[in-house]
Amino acid sequence: MFVYEKKLQYPVNIKQTNPKLAKIIITQYGGPDGELGASLRYLSQRFTMPLPELKGTLTDIGTEELGHLEMIGAIVYQLTRGLSEKEIKESGFEDYFVDHTTGIYPQGASGTPFTAAALQVKGDAITDLHENMAAEQGL
Amino acid sequence: MTEREILLKKISTYQFAAFDLQLFLDTHPYDRKTLEKMKEYKALAQPLVAEYEEKFGPLTKSMTSSNHWHWIMGPWPWENEEDC
Repeated sequence: MFVYEKKLQYPVNIKQTNPKLAKIIITQYGGPDGELGASLRYLSQRFTMPLPELKGTLTDIGTEELGHLEMIGAIVYQLTRGLSEKEIKESGFEDYFVDHTTGIYPQGASGTPFTAAALQVKGDAITDLHENMAAEQGL
Repeated sequence: MTEREILLKKISTYQFAAFDLQLFLDTHPYDRKTLEKMKEYKALAQPLVAEYEEKFGPLTKSMTSSNHWHWIMGPWPWENEEDC
């Protein structure tokens, strides 16, 4: 199970909104190489890992990625809060806004909703570790 | 930064150091030097966590000393002080 700590791994304090930037950064939230994918990848692959070192590492980094997810969510939230109609239209944020307003939706920069199709779990340690390395080089 | 933010950043710094060493220990479980270093950072964070929770409320739900359910009070981690 998991226990929540009421803090970010590193503080996020954004004073100036920037919806255009938010639309790019959200890909790190729910895009193909984002934190949600990373977290699910590690937390799912760990079940069939053959060695204690691997079970431990994947459990801990899978959990840490959830902390990263929370930081990215905080960044997108702070970049888009309190926007005026004019700011939404001028920044090109209206296509996101019409579906989600300023809610934090897990999607890639292209608008594709989060999909588990961008990750893999094969139940084989070597295969899964290679998949991890490929994913970590995604950006 | 406010007093709360400064204290939280200090806590996070020690906790992050401890956490990174824990990841190293996952693949080097018998490295006694790293184990000692990790405990050292955890010990440094501990009194700061106690101070923070005393002044600003719980970081985890294990803290129950308050006479009401302080857990839901803001600011939540994604909020600024002025949001509350």
